Amino acid sequence: MSHDLAAQLIALTTGLLLLTAVQQLWLRSVLGSVALLVVQGAALAGLVATIAVAEQEWEALAMAVVILALKAGFLPWALARTATLTRVHDGLDPGARPASGLLLAVLLTTVAYVVSQPLIGPNPTDAARAVPVGIALVLLGFLILLTRHIAVSQLVGFLVLDNGIAATGFLVSGGLPLTTEIGVLFDVLLVVLILRVLTVRMVRLTGGTSLPELRELRD
Amino acid sequence: MSGPGALLAVLALAGVAIAVPWLTPDRLRSPLSGGASALLGLGGVAAGVAAMGGAGGVLTLPLVVPATAGLDPVTLAPTPLGGVFLVVAGGVGALAAFFGIGYAHGPAASRTAWSAYAAFLLGMLLVPAAADVLSFLLAWELMAVASTVLVLADHAVRPTVRSATLWYAVMTHLSFLLLLAGFAVLAAGAGGTAFERIAAAQASGPAASVAFVLLVLGFGTKAGLVPLHVWLPRAHPEAPSHVSAAMSAAMVKMGVYGILLTLGLLAPGPQWWGFGLLVLGCASALYGVLQAAVNSDLKRLLAYSTSENVGLIVTALGVGVLLGDAGQRRVAEVAIVAALLLVVSHAAFKTALFLGAGSILHVTGERDLDRLGGLVHTHPFTAISFGLGAMGATALPITSGFVAEWVLLQALVHGDGRADRLIAVTLPLAMGVVALTVGLGLLTFVKAWAIAFLARPRSERAANPDHAQGSHDHSITMIAGLVVSGALVVALGFAAGPLSVELARAAGVGGVERVGLLGVAFPAVGVLLEPAALTLLALAIAVPFAAYNAVLRVRRPRRDTELPWGCGGVRTSPRMEYTATSYAEPLVRIFGASLDPTRQLTVEHPEGNPLLVSRVTFSQRLVDVIEQRAYLPVKRAVLRLGDAARLVQNGSIHRYLAFSFVALLLVLAVVSL
Repeated sequence: MSHDLAAQLIALTTGLLLLTAVQQLWLRSVLGSVALLVVQGAALAGLVATIAVAEQEWEALAMAVVILALKAGFLPWALARTATLTRVHDGLDPGARPASGLLLAVLLTTVAYVVSQPLIGPNPTDAARAVPVGIALVLLGFLILLTRHIAVSQLVGFLVLDNGIAATGFLVSGGLPLTTEIGVLFDVLLVVLILRVLTVRMVRLTGGTSLPELRELRD
Repeated sequence: MSGPGALLAVLALAGVAIAVPWLTPDRLRSPLSGGASALLGLGGVAAGVAAMGGAGGVLTLPLVVPATAGLDPVTLAPTPLGGVFLVVAGGVGALAAFFGIGYAHGPAASRTAWSAYAAFLLGMLLVPAAADVLSFLLAWELMAVASTVLVLADHAVRPTVRSATLWYAVMTHLSFLLLLAGFAVLAAGAGGTAFERIAAAQASGPAASVAFVLLVLGFGTKAGLVPLHVWLPRAHPEAPSHVSAAMSAAMVKMGVYGILLTLGLLAPGPQWWGFGLLVLGCASALYGVLQAAVNSDLKRLLAYSTSENVGLIVTALGVGVLLGDAGQRRVAEVAIVAALLLVVSHAAFKTALFLGAGSILHVTGERDLDRLGGLVHTHPFTAISFGLGAMGATALPITSGFVAEWVLLQALVHGDGRADRLIAVTLPLAMGVVALTVGLGLLTFVKAWAIAFLARPRSERAANPDHAQGSHDHSITMIAGLVVSGALVVALGFAAGPLSVELARAAGVGGVERVGLLGVAFPAVGVLLEPAALTLLALAIAVPFAAYNAVLRVRRPRRDTELPWGCGGVRTSPRMEYTATSYAEPLVRIFGASLDPTRQLTVEHPEGNPLLVSRVTFSQRLVDVIEQRAYLPVKRAVLRLGDAARLVQNGSIHRYLAFSFVALLLVLAVVSL
């Protein structure tokens, strides 16, 4: 793969990552943001594959396949199914505020660019130059987690956050050791599955998973 | 026994005493565990005697300590002064354990309780043996934690135990924190944690003053000095009595040892150190005895009396420091000897008193003096032992308490105030405080002894002890514990000479001489006390009276007469006699402002006749003014703070996530700067 092609592919995939995250912040529809996760997972897999081919680390290529299967396949499917099972009313999250969401997204992305300077260093590679996107993804994921009310959309935020961490990891170091990556992936998988079960049960018990209604502390 | 041998023996005995309760069957648990703990105490006495003779030995413990610069190895090496406290703690611990064999029942005789007792005793023995900050604090914490477990023993039976334990735990950890801070200041200045190194550094200046204040407050909390005494009147009544005895007679002395240790570690400081100690001591003595005089709960009364006695000890130390600074070394040495004599005598008589109180509680289930009476007929051993203890507490001749307070007064009388105006003012005032304390103490213990033992029984349980529900017969170990502790009060008084000389040697001061076999003299101030002569004098006065009485009894045998017309001459009923409350009533009147009593008087009339009275109810509630005015506001403020913390901790997951988010942003910002 030529150098230019690699650089363009990295720019394309990271661009997609950022775009989908911002769009998720902007969308109120729960199922819509789950669908965007598919694109985001595919972009992440593409980014990993690009880095793997460019730096000729074939292990990472296998990683890309696993990521594609999990993050663009299984996890979004599981979330979509949870959303249907719990019958999220009218499919909209009351916590989403498109206008202020976009404003904050701009702000956080700027912050990400500013704070990632020390990580990039004086002579950055193409991949390292895209590190701010990874950090921006972490911050945007956190923001989604922070503002959404419905359990499924919070899980979406959590996955965006995790995508951000994975992207940052690959961009900075060309990937962590395979076992670590797989470990992290399975952690995320477990979290999502457990929360899915919990969410379904909560809906059966209380009739909803809207967090503002579930905030009484008990000893 | 050589020094390290004795220390090793103590550690081995402690291991056995902690393990025994878990290995023995239920029936034999109390005898074997109590016996093992008593042996541990005796081992402590042996180690203490060796240390007082200068053969304390050195034992470096192979504890795994992070290899940090400025941390000396964990070492036990009792000094002669530490030896005195080893003997006190070991002796009291052994007696209380022996008494406990018969006394402890229910939760107090559980595996946990006996094991904790052994651990508590070990902690008390290690504190005076410690030769560096780390081992000292470890032993201190062991002592604190084990005693907390013991105070908690009866928590399932009485709900008040829990709140008492909470107070105790809070105060004891406050003490630990203060000590930690104080020692940290000293260790940082000296570059090491060994006491030798710290003493060699001779800290002075503001750092020394900071360390002094922190350490004195920390040790004062444990010693029960006013205003840090609040745990004493709560924890002592709620703990099992043999534990109260060990806590009051031995554990609070570790606070005194700590203050002595602090004075030894620091170079002579500014004059306000001695003055501060004196004020703290006088305040504790007065406040303690005043509260003791008006309380009718026997064990609470004894707890306040502990505050009073520690106050006297610290007063003696303050006088010693003040006079030592003023160049009157010889008189200062008398004061230091007085302090140590007070320590030993208080240990002896408070053991007798608490064991006596335990014995009363054991047979009647009561500790409210207003409901007791007449026990002298049914329990003569308890009566005599408690009586001897009360004599010691009121400093009557010829008990150890008398000798100690006599020496303290000598130091106060002979301090020369001509050169220094502060001393000229404070010494006479302190003398007045000591005199008032002794007077009120007399009132307190006349009340405690006479009403519990001589007055007519005021409740069914007091009238028929041993038949009260849940009570048990006195076992031989309880009687032995009572007799030995009572005898010690008198014996230590008789052995005034040898005792004073040994204590002075251990403290490294001179100016004390033995006169004859038992007498003591302080040549520096020109006074002499001869217990034998004093006894002879007392006998010379008492024998003729006794003889006259005996003759009269033979000539005119006593006849019981029943007056046909009473006119008030009929034998008194219990309701006509003094109660503990009524006996102390004049005091409550005089010191009303500082006692803040709440009284309630209800008069009930028969229906339709307001001129007749069918029933009068009187109740009086006394509160600890210091607790009300100083501690409760702090408690309320803490609770308010806790309520305010709900703003942060409100159960909203969004808020918690926001905290992490802000933290993440802050970390990123800091990293990028």
